[in-house]
Amino acid sequence: MKKPWWVVLLLITPGFGFVLLLIGAVVSMAVAQSIGFYNFAGESQFSLEHWQQIISGDGSRRFWRAFRYSAYIASYSAILSVIIAYPIALWLRKPFKGSITLSAILKAPMLVHGLVAAFLMINVISYHGFINEFMIWSGLWDKPVRMQNDKLGIGVIFLQVWKQMPFALLLLSGSVQNLSDSVLDAAQDLGAGSIARFRKVVLPLTLQSLQAALILIFIGAAGDFSFQKVAGPTAENSMATLMIYVQTDVGDWNGAAVIAIMLMVLALFGSLAVAIAAKYVSRVATL
Amino acid sequence: MSIKLNKIFLYLFLGLAFIWLFVPFSMALLWSLVDPSVSWSYPDIFPKKLSLQRWFDMWETTSLSTAMLNSYSLAPLAALVTIVLASPTAYAFAKIDFPGREVFKVLVLIPLVVPSFVIAIFFTSLLYSLHIYAKYPSILLGHVLLFMPYAVRILTVSFTQVNDDIVNAARDLGANPWAIFKVAYLPAIKPGILASLLIVFILSIEEFAVAFIVGSPDFTTIPTILYSFLGYNFIRSNAAVVSLVLVGPNVLLMLFLERLLQSANPQNVSGKG
Repeated sequence: MKKPWWVVLLLITPGFGFVLLLIGAVVSMAVAQSIGFYNFAGESQFSLEHWQQIISGDGSRRFWRAFRYSAYIASYSAILSVIIAYPIALWLRKPFKGSITLSAILKAPMLVHGLVAAFLMINVISYHGFINEFMIWSGLWDKPVRMQNDKLGIGVIFLQVWKQMPFALLLLSGSVQNLSDSVLDAAQDLGAGSIARFRKVVLPLTLQSLQAALILIFIGAAGDFSFQKVAGPTAENSMATLMIYVQTDVGDWNGAAVIAIMLMVLALFGSLAVAIAAKYVSRVATL
Repeated sequence: MSIKLNKIFLYLFLGLAFIWLFVPFSMALLWSLVDPSVSWSYPDIFPKKLSLQRWFDMWETTSLSTAMLNSYSLAPLAALVTIVLASPTAYAFAKIDFPGREVFKVLVLIPLVVPSFVIAIFFTSLLYSLHIYAKYPSILLGHVLLFMPYAVRILTVSFTQVNDDIVNAARDLGANPWAIFKVAYLPAIKPGILASLLIVFILSIEEFAVAFIVGSPDFTTIPTILYSFLGYNFIRSNAAVVSLVLVGPNVLLMLFLERLLQSANPQNVSGKG
């Protein structure tokens, strides 16, 4: 159907227009504050001082540490999630008795709020938590092991995978189920074993969903605040916790804006890098 | 794969799922039922005394009731406003050919890829620079922005399913616009409307970043009060109560939503993101 342009404009203004205007204003605000405008605590004028302070001045070590830490958490979370989701998606491709229950159980963490998930995990791994009590009760360990707020952020990565793997599973299941049996059968007839079939048929044909899953999980994990605050290493900051700290505790909105821009840069380029790496891996695998 | 191997895997996974879901939730339930007079501490495997005392205490002495009132009044409002604003856009995206439509369809998803705390902070600074300090309407506006992409996307799919032949037939038979809407549009878009109302409702109840930053320090919703019990004043039993208050109703709603989505548009609507 065709309509005059002003009708279209009228129709899309309340929804699309609202989103574009507001998100545009929010992002512009971040950009403007990062270069010295809207300074709530001093003179508002163009200045690169905030950039300099955060990424090369006194605070730079703290900033780059948070940047590397968030990149590390996000990459591991994204890659581990798809590595776990792939075999399950392939396994559940053909329905069998119990497969629907299983897939419902696996997807259940999507329905659990992130903060609740963090709390639940802490109950399980804390000093007097389920694992420690169980291991001591069974006599395998002599004394409880400290697992909460571990230095490497394994708890955070575990939580990310717990929460995001179902999402990867959803995306991968969709494309794995669309693979035609005849293609897979043909590969088998030509003598390809299950690993060769995965490398040469499944991986290239489901690459797009794989990349989508990697990108979305990377972006989500790079911007994480709650998991880091509740379960993360106490000595580390993620980009989001550092940004909130600089804005709330230091009161430096402009500095927080610099971190926000860099967080968006990390989310954008980091996720693209992971997706390109996946394409490269898939290309090498087909050789 | 052989049937036997499949069975072994199945039991293995069901066992894992037990640890995955059942153990954590039972622990939360147990913690919420620990009687305040007798503490649950090492080396007790189970609490010595169980009661609902914590639940009553939480209701009477903390701001949980205010937080619930805020969350459960914000969510339906956000859902309603979002659907009303999203519908015309969804209709245009589904039914009208205009240049740049595909690009617009992607652009409307932007709020999903900007980190939520970035949106929260600079939405706040935008409000401050406009001298807007009212928290409730600000958080409402923030939620409408964050969840508009879901509503537009679900409703676009619904509007695509409206059969133009029925629209034309109704028009040829002399139906007025309202009658056309009732016979041709409503049946096709009803599941989509319900689904988007539900998803915005659930996401708004769960939303943390905007409620936390815009609402700080005194405006509470269920997630922000949970965060406060997980943070500086960590009280495990209180956190357990709030966790269950937050998760319980939403899981039920989500299961209902899943059924709706399956009946409405199986492939086209992704998960919560």
